[in-house]
Amino acid sequence: MRSRRDFLKGVGATAVAAATAGPAVVSAQARKGVPSDPVKIGVIAIRAGIAAPVGAAGLRGTEWWAERVNSAGGILGRKVQLVVEEESNPKDTVERYRKLVLQEKVDVVLGGISTGVTLALATVAEDLATPWLSWDGTTQKGVDETMPNPKWAFKSVDNEVEAIVAGMLTPKYFKGIKTVAGIGNDYSYGHDCWQSYQAVLKRYIPDVKFVLELFPKLGVTDFTSHIAAIQQSKADLLMCSFWSGDATIIMKQAAAVGLFKTMKGVFTTAGGVHDSLKKDFTPEGLLLGYNTMYFDDPKGSPLLKQFVREYKAKYNEYPPYECDHAYFNAESYKAAVEKAYASAQEWPSKAQVVKALEGIEVESLSGRRSWREDHVQMCNFYQGITTHKNAYDFVTINPIETVSTRQAMKPAGAKLFDWINSWKL
Amino acid sequence: MTEHVVRVLLSGVFHASILFLVSAGLQVVFGVQKIFNLACGSFYALGAYVGVWAVQMYAAAGGPPAFFIVPLVLGGLLVGLVGVVVERGLLRFVYDRDETFQLLLTFALVLMLEDAIRLTWGTSPLSTGGMYLVYGQAHILGAAVPVYNLVVIAAGLAIAVGIGALLTRTAFGRIVRAAADQREMTEALGVDMRRLYALVFTLGTVLGTLGGALVIPATAAMSEMGIELIVEAFAVVVIGGLGSMRGALVGALVVGVLRSIAISVYPELEMLLIYLIVIAVLVLRPRGLFGAAATAT
Amino acid sequence: MIGRLGLVAAGAAVVAAPFAASTYHVLLMLPFMAYGVVLLGLNLLFGYTGLVSFGHALFIGIGAYTGAFLTSTFGVRSLEAIVVTAAGLGAVVAAPVAALCVRYVKIYFGMLTLAFGMVFYTFVLKFYRLTGGDEGLPYLRPSLLGFGLEGMSKTDYLTGPYYYYSLIVLAVAAVVMWRIVHSPFGLCLKTIRDNPAKAETLGIGVGRYRWYAFVISAVYASVGGALLGAPIGNVDPTLAYWTHSGNIVFMTLLGGFASFFGPILGAFVYIYLEDFLKSLAPSSWRLIFGALLAAVVILAPGGLMGLVRAARRGASPRPHDPARA
Repeated sequence: MRSRRDFLKGVGATAVAAATAGPAVVSAQARKGVPSDPVKIGVIAIRAGIAAPVGAAGLRGTEWWAERVNSAGGILGRKVQLVVEEESNPKDTVERYRKLVLQEKVDVVLGGISTGVTLALATVAEDLATPWLSWDGTTQKGVDETMPNPKWAFKSVDNEVEAIVAGMLTPKYFKGIKTVAGIGNDYSYGHDCWQSYQAVLKRYIPDVKFVLELFPKLGVTDFTSHIAAIQQSKADLLMCSFWSGDATIIMKQAAAVGLFKTMKGVFTTAGGVHDSLKKDFTPEGLLLGYNTMYFDDPKGSPLLKQFVREYKAKYNEYPPYECDHAYFNAESYKAAVEKAYASAQEWPSKAQVVKALEGIEVESLSGRRSWREDHVQMCNFYQGITTHKNAYDFVTINPIETVSTRQAMKPAGAKLFDWINSWKL
Repeated sequence: MTEHVVRVLLSGVFHASILFLVSAGLQVVFGVQKIFNLACGSFYALGAYVGVWAVQMYAAAGGPPAFFIVPLVLGGLLVGLVGVVVERGLLRFVYDRDETFQLLLTFALVLMLEDAIRLTWGTSPLSTGGMYLVYGQAHILGAAVPVYNLVVIAAGLAIAVGIGALLTRTAFGRIVRAAADQREMTEALGVDMRRLYALVFTLGTVLGTLGGALVIPATAAMSEMGIELIVEAFAVVVIGGLGSMRGALVGALVVGVLRSIAISVYPELEMLLIYLIVIAVLVLRPRGLFGAAATAT
Repeated sequence: MIGRLGLVAAGAAVVAAPFAASTYHVLLMLPFMAYGVVLLGLNLLFGYTGLVSFGHALFIGIGAYTGAFLTSTFGVRSLEAIVVTAAGLGAVVAAPVAALCVRYVKIYFGMLTLAFGMVFYTFVLKFYRLTGGDEGLPYLRPSLLGFGLEGMSKTDYLTGPYYYYSLIVLAVAAVVMWRIVHSPFGLCLKTIRDNPAKAETLGIGVGRYRWYAFVISAVYASVGGALLGAPIGNVDPTLAYWTHSGNIVFMTLLGGFASFFGPILGAFVYIYLEDFLKSLAPSSWRLIFGALLAAVVILAPGGLMGLVRAARRGASPRPHDPARA
């Protein structure tokens, strides 16, 4: 039997050890099974080119989230460290993605906006067995062909949803539409939006005629010739799916010839540049889409209001929707880690995080958002009629329509056009 | 119907003016120095960003909107002086090198200017907002045409005429044309080629930045716009002939008007049409409409 | 000539890399090897024939799309079939393009090639029903010498069998190109580069030889493109954009166009430097690269190999400097 002295020595040693051990042992934040080093989160953001503002918005949203989380102690007490890489063309972005996972050893990758890139990243993400939460970029093909049953990849909302919502709202706000012209960028998003819009509109107005379709390539800055063609078509309504500087440009050039004095306008995604749509040249009465986040939502949460306030103070701009996608992705990751931890009682593995992500719902900037079981984002879409009655120098919307993806996005496993044609109206 | 024709033609001519303004600088520099400046689109972009800046500062200082074109043009002209820095600081070191090295140097410029522009102005599209509408509309044969478009067209014409006059009627112009045709002889006759090259290159840059500034109220300044524009400028100079200002004007008109007609009649063809013409020209008459014979062998 | 020892050491390092280096750095070697093949061809045109093409990304695109079409549309997975088809298609497209371009030199040649490169880019982008447009086309995992290797993860496949396959292709390509440039044909090309008029008087058909050089370089670029596409898994039009053509010329110049191995060195340095800079200076790496290119053009037109030689010879001027007009 050890002497009482040895026993006391042992107790003393333990006490000394406890007292002199690092903060991880003593601090209130430390949890069982959670490493003390920061959790590395990879972020892929566009820095250059026409989608650069979208990438910047996503990155800013993620950074705001990270600061907030870190000032509250991190995820389960672990600080968040963002590792940012550039999204450019598919070849280079695949390389940077591999660097994030293999070299930087991030636990999760957030981001991805352009379609070509997200399609290329999909197979790489599956191969590298790390969760990847994409902000944007999913179109028809992505959903059907390249990522049929993703295990690690989490896809954005189907991007045609905003065109579908616009199609649903058009007959509600614009009566007597018989002819429609469409203009969109000459790539998958532009074409998919136009086709979806047409399919939906035809359900509500079976004998509507589509008299003109124009697809200028991304990066065009002069639409005067296109506007001439649109005027010549004498369509009742113009549907436009531009989402970047070109939306501002066409609005300006259309105002210069008074296009919308005689024609109705539907801008499915111009909310992406909403604060550049100045009242000087953007008329009231257009249907304008803000994707999943409307910065001035009167029903907006305190979180949204705080975000808008701080964003404006820091960047002198009002935040567009990409911030919401970014925030949601990051926040859902955090929630999934916490949920998986609750059952595993240690920092979850990547596979456990993935499992926890499926079906999870969190409070994002725009309100409650979730991940569907098949790894697709679920959220609300905000569109409305432009108005000048506000305190800004740009337009806002009133009334505001909120349409959920439960209504406007095809269910898991369905084919888009079959689904649209099966609606009971 | 007439109004549609007017709209198509005028929008075509407007686009042609933009193309001319991008390519004019390119032609001047190539004509004299035989350097194909891949960065001409980037200088155009620089002028666009500075133009927006100048107008925003002017508006913030309370300047009356009707005169916004003054700070716009001034901004465009002044930033073009960066051409002196580029020429003296970089380009002059490669004059005695093979042309392709000069081309590569301008490619290096493209890369540097892209990041420089982005670091200075960020990535959000910048625009002068509603200034475009300040001069209102004109009504021509039933079609409402933005007066600012006419201003751009007039400016393009004025510059074309002005450069033409500069080249044919002034002593400077005579020297420039002599240097273009007979470099060694001109030098032997005592012309300071260093100064001439600096002047010519700066003239080329100023044409680019001025063009960018003039057009920006009608459009918006966006990241990497310079890289896209060089492709259009290229089509213009191939069709019109490298080194010829007249060629730039005609080439721009051909591209601008045909594009406008295609958009109304057969939109599918829009961008392809230009490339098809480019290939046809390259196959059938590589020197373009007005260019000097391309050296073979 | 880089020393025999240097070459052997480099070769040994490349062979040993999958066992010694981190997975990520081994993966970076794959585009290096693919570009190595492309640049061997490009330099036949640039260094040995004196023609700088600003449109060779066209052929990289052809090679990559060949792989994509064969694997996803036609179900043909054999990398051998892909490489051979890519080479053939590259030659078929190059034949008329070359016939047109080689009539002209210097700036006009560069412009013509740029034009053709952008035409290809526009076609691929526009005809999206056929090519996938901006979304691109999947390039599925090719089988190597008949082995599908489906059991391996893509990363293991790429850092193992695919790595050595690419290395062998690069080695073979290098040996073949070495033979070409040291043959009478190669000598004729150099004569044409240095003094076309003299070449004509010697009875060398300048146009014809340039045409051969162009077609061979296109074949190399297509093969390189086929190798480049597989690790990405999805091939898209940006591979054919003019700035991609500019970048490969940059690599050649960086390494040294007047040397056989220069361009390969250039590809290596470019890729690793780009990787380093993207992590170090994410907002300004293009600025730094532009400055680097400018510095090389102005101060060291012979590239890295040029610097090495100058250091060896104690800065005595080289007899033939194609950098000077």
